[in-house]
Amino acid sequence: MSHCPGPGHTPSSLTQTRREFLRDSACGFGGLALAAMLHAQGLRAAPAAHTNPLAPKLPPLPAKAKSVIFLFMAGGPSQMETFDPKPLLNELSGQSRPKAFGDVKYQFIKPTAKLLGTKRTFKKYGRSGIEVSDLFPHVATCVDDLAIIRSCQGNSVVHSAAQYELFSGRVVPGAPSMGSWITYGLGAETDSLPSYVVMPDPDGALPAGQPMYSQGFLPAIYQPTMFRPGAKPVLNLGLPPGVSPAERRRTLDLIQGLNRASADPLDEEFAARMNAYDLAFRMQTEAPDVLDLSREPQETLDLYGVGAAATNDYGRRCLLARKLVEKGVRFITVVSGGGSGKLTWDAHDDIEENHLRMAAHADKPIAGLITDLKRRGLLDSTLLVWGGEFGRSPEAEAGKGRDHHNYGFSMWMAGGGIQGGRVVGATDAIGLHAVEKPYHFRDIHTTILNQLGLDQHTLTYPHLGRNERLTFVEGKVIKEIV
Amino acid sequence: MHAPASPRLTAHALAFACAAALALPAHATPELEAGHTFFREKIEPVLRAECYDCHSAQAKKLRGDLRLDLKSGLLTGGNTGPALVAGDAKSLLLQAIRHEDPDLQMPPEKPKLPAAVIADFERWIHMGAPDPRSAEAKPLNPATDPQQARGYWAFQPVKAAPPPTVKQTAWPAGPMDRFVLAKLEAHTLAPAPAATKTELLRRVYFDLIGLPPTPEEAMAFLADTSADAYERVIDRLLASPHYGEHFARDWLDVVRFAETEGFEYDRSLPEAWRFRDYVVESLNRDKPFNQFLTEQIAGDEIAPDDPELATAAGFHRFGAVRRNAGNQNVAVSRNEVLIERTDIVGSAILGLTVGCARCHDHKIDPILQKDYYRLQAYFSATQEHSVLLLPPAERAPFEAKWKPLNTQLDELRGMLENLQGADRQRVTREIRDLEATLPPAPPSILSIRNEPAKRTPIHVLKRGDWDNKGEPVAPRPPTVLVSDDLPELPADTAAPRTALARWLTTPSHPLTARVAVNRIWQHHFGTGLVKTPNDFGQNGDRPSHPELLDWLAREFVAGGWKAKPLHRLIVLSNTYRQSSHSPRAAAATRLDPENRLLWHVRARRLAAEEVRDAMLAISGQLNPKRGGESIMVPVDEEQVKLLYKPSQWAVTQDPTEHNRRSVYLMAKRNLRLPFMETFDQPDLLSSCGKRESSTHAPQALELMNGRLANELSAAFAERLTREVGTDSAPVHVVDRAYWLAAGRAPTAPEKTLGVDFLRSGAPVKEFALAMFNLNAFLYVP
Repeated sequence: MSHCPGPGHTPSSLTQTRREFLRDSACGFGGLALAAMLHAQGLRAAPAAHTNPLAPKLPPLPAKAKSVIFLFMAGGPSQMETFDPKPLLNELSGQSRPKAFGDVKYQFIKPTAKLLGTKRTFKKYGRSGIEVSDLFPHVATCVDDLAIIRSCQGNSVVHSAAQYELFSGRVVPGAPSMGSWITYGLGAETDSLPSYVVMPDPDGALPAGQPMYSQGFLPAIYQPTMFRPGAKPVLNLGLPPGVSPAERRRTLDLIQGLNRASADPLDEEFAARMNAYDLAFRMQTEAPDVLDLSREPQETLDLYGVGAAATNDYGRRCLLARKLVEKGVRFITVVSGGGSGKLTWDAHDDIEENHLRMAAHADKPIAGLITDLKRRGLLDSTLLVWGGEFGRSPEAEAGKGRDHHNYGFSMWMAGGGIQGGRVVGATDAIGLHAVEKPYHFRDIHTTILNQLGLDQHTLTYPHLGRNERLTFVEGKVIKEIV
Repeated sequence: MHAPASPRLTAHALAFACAAALALPAHATPELEAGHTFFREKIEPVLRAECYDCHSAQAKKLRGDLRLDLKSGLLTGGNTGPALVAGDAKSLLLQAIRHEDPDLQMPPEKPKLPAAVIADFERWIHMGAPDPRSAEAKPLNPATDPQQARGYWAFQPVKAAPPPTVKQTAWPAGPMDRFVLAKLEAHTLAPAPAATKTELLRRVYFDLIGLPPTPEEAMAFLADTSADAYERVIDRLLASPHYGEHFARDWLDVVRFAETEGFEYDRSLPEAWRFRDYVVESLNRDKPFNQFLTEQIAGDEIAPDDPELATAAGFHRFGAVRRNAGNQNVAVSRNEVLIERTDIVGSAILGLTVGCARCHDHKIDPILQKDYYRLQAYFSATQEHSVLLLPPAERAPFEAKWKPLNTQLDELRGMLENLQGADRQRVTREIRDLEATLPPAPPSILSIRNEPAKRTPIHVLKRGDWDNKGEPVAPRPPTVLVSDDLPELPADTAAPRTALARWLTTPSHPLTARVAVNRIWQHHFGTGLVKTPNDFGQNGDRPSHPELLDWLAREFVAGGWKAKPLHRLIVLSNTYRQSSHSPRAAAATRLDPENRLLWHVRARRLAAEEVRDAMLAISGQLNPKRGGESIMVPVDEEQVKLLYKPSQWAVTQDPTEHNRRSVYLMAKRNLRLPFMETFDQPDLLSSCGKRESSTHAPQALELMNGRLANELSAAFAERLTREVGTDSAPVHVVDRAYWLAAGRAPTAPEKTLGVDFLRSGAPVKEFALAMFNLNAFLYVP
């Protein structure tokens, strides 16, 4: 199987020439409006329609999901404390790891570290009877919608590299993230909102930084829109101070008028630019309404925990994610954890304190999101993915913490055609190695693409001599859950 | 307990193993193993001896479309169907070697194979035809075989091609135009008419210095009717220090220059700006390109004490570097660094995707995996190094004082990782106290040097995996580019990179000059003669004008590898001086939609840096100061919060510095300025030979609502009011604004719209903002 493009390969139409690219963009969102405008002026219609990079595209394969919400538990939540009960670990707590379990390499702790039992208790939930820990009492009530993958693996035990791999399939920065790939593959279903949104945690950024979310070597049109914490969540969406909307509308009319006056109306770039301004104006007027949660019913706010101290922030962002999905936004990452390690799931010092606190932020909002999507009939077409860049060590770090661990940890998926109430794969009796059906990040990626009707082998982009793809090498669909 | 078949999951084992999925099937049973051995011992030798002459990649003519050197070939078969079906005693292959069918007797015109051999085949197929070759089977493809691929155009010597004869003899201004015109004529196309003087002036200003002409310069040029008016403008621009500031961008993109290391720490390289200045100054002095390359590849070897050459060798420091706290995997980190140092030579200089051969022989090009590691061997002794900017005599005493303190500091900082509470506070205090005793660090140069004692033995790494070492190798250029009998250099060659540079800059090198002139051509025409500037390999583009490419490469080398004469030649040509509008555009577009034949010159959008620099220039705010430390401009607080360590963005205090040219802006990998990013500035992580040029809504939002656009529109408005006088009629404001922003007078409809807008009482600032959003401003005709 060849990973590099074949000799007969022709680059994607997107890269052929700048002019073609612009012409393509020209037929986008406002293409019809532009054609109408030109017609009204007695001019010929815009150049024949070509594929618009952001126009919604039919996926090549049957699709179950249209949108993805990635609930990113930054820092790496523990498998033993969440979805993968390990009674033996409590029995062996304080002892060295028996040799039979094999070796691993950790970022911080030494091979001599002692095993650490968990204080969490597990209970069976739902018809499926899947065990979930007491960190997630709300999510547990949705367990029949979840497919839990207990055998996840990645290649890196270091945050930044692992985060790059989780988002882009590479342990180095510079490759496009899932959201960019999927927007490239499916286009946008909204003409007033960005199609790929990241909602970082207001507590701060993560080790891998912005390159983790970025479009890498894909054109800038697939870049993420960061809904940044603070007063101005979307860059340049608000008018500068002292400028009234009416005044700015006049300026926009002047710009469009002057551009029209000097350009050949058949010029493709002219058309593309006219469109970009139309869209910018629409985003400016329509997006703020979507971002405004003040008119949501109290019952909905309560469902997400909006208003309660612990859950207010993550709840708001989960609710916003639901609103964005409703409007056709394709990919949304909602990050739990940011800033210094202690404010993420990165529980080096004290697994108990850290995970109780972090789960208290995330549990209710996530359950609220699942419930809300379901009752609105959106869960079938929205794929939820939950997980971090790795799990945590069965061994103790600094007495009661846990180190990074990439040999076997849990993630889950729900909605978007995923078969709920299932568990796939298993780690060994102490949660060290994935011993049954190990699934790598690239398999998670392949499964996400599969639910969207995309294929890792055809969703490619030429870069430095290789037809690059999200999965880097070849991933497999997790058949047990689709 | 732990599954033996699970993939190796050491943090690094797969980290770069692009071919991990090529691993043999994980669940090989003993039976299957035995079957594979049987195939290797009994079947494959027969296939090779009896069948491959006609049924493999090595066949002169492949018979029956059947490949027996591939597992898939046996199973899918050729024209007569599958050669075998596992377990089927009636398989075609068996019928053929048993001579069952008089029309299908194999091997042909030879005696029947011995009965024992036939029995082996029967037994093998009965076993299920186990064939271990799977994906490992490597067809001998002439395109990827170095010996056979030497005929590919890019590996052939640069040819001396005389300029062709043309019908329209009056059009060419020189030999270059004849190459272009001959192609156009051969396709029944004609060049576009000449651009107007206004258009040409704006074009050549942006192409050569990246800034617009001032209204006075534009008007003077229009009024100048002398024959050499244009030529004098060109000579002035080529001599301008802005020339180097502008062209540096091309090379900095290619070498993915950045001033931070990326990854988690995104550590600052505080002296990296010296490399940027080195590039700017080298271009301004028109340093010969062979020297420019040599200094970057081997400057530290050639003259370790020469600050300029040490700075040039900083070239090797611009790959992203992953550093992590805690347990170190030194060998893996080292491997990551060597990969960066190797791959960039391929992309930037050779125009070959050598990086594809790191895990396996290149799939498309004749670059063996062994070639990749031989190239890497030139870098085996390289280590990061800072050259202190002190007179050589003062360096040793400084280092004697500084080194022990610094070692001690490193140790303390290391301890800090594992400490808590009072211990942590105590060590933190110790560190602070020790830091206070450090002598002030003199400025230094970001560079590298060879440290033979720390040389990394270079091996072919199977599947690119550090833990999977194959044969040891030593420095040697890729096989396809040298003679077969060229030996490797000794692994411990004293100055290996000097040898590499010498080879790369050999005047007869088939790639270096071609790749370089193609970048120059791309700068002026938007698309190179080869439109994939970093890939001259077989997956890349074929040259639109191969003879012209070679002619330019020879001119370049013969002229002492100097770029300025080439720029002059190009911008003085009639090809370059064509209009962007052709009266025959409709027909020409059908024939040549990509304009590869150059039937006109395409209008282009300004690059990110040009947009910003031009906004600064026309609003009268551009600070023309040259060189020095990079500038951190104010960005939204929300943007800084997206940094893992927000304190890393320390805005440059002097606000006049914020208005320097964009080449002086801090190139931080984890904080890209939204303005630059949205106008397609590349991501600073991998070599960018050609930028995208996209058009999308965030650009409109940036130019209407962004901080820079609004600050500068206020300044631009103030300048307009000041220059035309407050009592002046709006028409003068409109007129002056167009001369500044578009280099021309407004047309009548433009004048009317602008005047009406201003008369309606709208602020001049809003009019000024509109100018930044005009196609007439953002595009070069």
